[in-house]
Amino acid sequence: MQRRMNKQTVLKFSLYISYFFVGILFLFPLLWVLSLSFKTSKELYNVPPTLLPDNLQFENYKHVIENNNILAYLGNSVQVVALTVILTLIIVLPAAFALSRFKFKLKGLLLLGIILTQMISAVVISIPLYRLFAELGLLNNFAILIIVYVAVVLPFSTWFLKGYFDTIPIELDEAATVDGCNKFQILTRVLLPSSMPGIVSVTLLVAVQSWSQFVIPFILLDMQSLYPVSVGIVNLQSTQQAVTTHYLAAGSVLSILPVIVLFVLLQRFIVGALTTGAVKG
Amino acid sequence: MSVKNKNGLGQSKMKKRISNSALPWLLPLLSVLVFVFLFPVVEIVRLSFTNATLNGGEYSYTLDSYISLFTNPGFMQMLIVTGIFVFFSITFQMLFGFLVALIIDQGEKWNLKGTVLTRTAVLTAWAIPGVIIGVIWQMLYNETDAGIINYLLSIVGIGPVPFLSDPTTALIAVTFANVWRGTAFSMILIYAGLKTLPSDVIEAAKIDGANAIQRGMKVILPMLTPMLLINLVIISIDTFNTFDMVMALTGGGPGQSTEVISLSIYNSIFNQFNLGQGAATSVVLLTINVAMTIVYILFLGRGEKNAA
Repeated sequence: MQRRMNKQTVLKFSLYISYFFVGILFLFPLLWVLSLSFKTSKELYNVPPTLLPDNLQFENYKHVIENNNILAYLGNSVQVVALTVILTLIIVLPAAFALSRFKFKLKGLLLLGIILTQMISAVVISIPLYRLFAELGLLNNFAILIIVYVAVVLPFSTWFLKGYFDTIPIELDEAATVDGCNKFQILTRVLLPSSMPGIVSVTLLVAVQSWSQFVIPFILLDMQSLYPVSVGIVNLQSTQQAVTTHYLAAGSVLSILPVIVLFVLLQRFIVGALTTGAVKG
Repeated sequence: MSVKNKNGLGQSKMKKRISNSALPWLLPLLSVLVFVFLFPVVEIVRLSFTNATLNGGEYSYTLDSYISLFTNPGFMQMLIVTGIFVFFSITFQMLFGFLVALIIDQGEKWNLKGTVLTRTAVLTAWAIPGVIIGVIWQMLYNETDAGIINYLLSIVGIGPVPFLSDPTTALIAVTFANVWRGTAFSMILIYAGLKTLPSDVIEAAKIDGANAIQRGMKVILPMLTPMLLINLVIISIDTFNTFDMVMALTGGGPGQSTEVISLSIYNSIFNQFNLGQGAATSVVLLTINVAMTIVYILFLGRGEKNAA
């Protein structure tokens, strides 16, 4: 018994050690950028590099906000992401309802077709769209851009919500039908209220993925004032030199701050979303 | 699919059948998918058989793009770079993902502190946009004496390493950053898989005298296999399609040493204006995408059968 206890203590201890190393491996890059973002240009060249800045240079943040349009980029991202989430839900809720509750020919094939679209490279689809939009004068058009954003997240959202609706007993629908509900009312009064956790999960996954979206705006936008933050940062990167790394770091921190805050606050939902999505495939 | 058999429908039933059609519910979804996926795919295949340039103008149909692609040593080189990037990315993402999932799952069973914090730390990498990850790692890989990784390596007597200026190390550096980025996804899938394992089966194996390694290899691993295969296909496709992180980290350089297939497509079209060649390369990537999806669907079918 004593030996067994000791063995378990050793195991627990080594688990703690590995948590420490895994934590450092994943947090250190972020903390380093945070540290760079508060350094002076001179401190960037300290040899050996210092872990912490001597003083917190909030001026760096002020600089990128005043000179590099970071707030405008962030505003564009918020706008695109919010509209993408709303439009995605409007399209995906009825579609998932039909895929979960209706029986029709070719349903299996349709579901597989939806998976296939999920796997197609965004670079590949952006090229013909670029040509088409250029011809129609639709480049730099936010509404069109959002439709492409929505298309990219539709496949997994559809599968996810269809899976969620499948878990809600069909007896509830039948009871509602007896009470005189039509299909639309079944969706809005029966399925929606009982699927709130699933809808929140999809919203979060769509929001995080759309915030990260890069290829599509990179190719379909050439007007700088419309850039979302992902493209804005690459633009900032291309105009920066080694002496201004602290500004690039400050811009990077600003651009990931919203997702990190959202993520830490709603971690449980996101882990839940990723794991239920995973289990259902 | 047990469609209610309603041969010989009456008028009113016919009406009912139309109102019960799934099509109106699916129409918005289908229109968007056709417009954003089907049309571009057909178009890119068509363009791959032309000598079109990005600037527009007349073009004619030809096989030249494919011929020049397959006779160009640069194309093989690019496929090799992509292959190395994908192979090592997915191998280590799954390996680290598995290890982290195991230690977190075990820690939760023992009520250890720090499991949520560790999980959050790993998952943060998943939430950060790929381009920002590229920008961040470019700073970490700074090759001057002020670079942090080179400094840390110098403490243990290694380096300085020319992370991004030497072709070989650049490919390793890009792959490492991609492993850092992608470990979270594999971790969370495997973690979810571990949660669904029936604990009574594992207990039974314990009672039968199986030690931890035997339980892992003979009981847990086989039960996780369908999930691991699905995970493998998803991350392979994602890695083949990687563009943003590499673009921000190296832009494909030095030379073309880290030019993975998506970057190669982008460069052909938007830097060399060679639409035909870019489209032909796109068709190669699409073929990979479709082949992997078929594998995915096969695994998915098998996984569902196993679960049933």
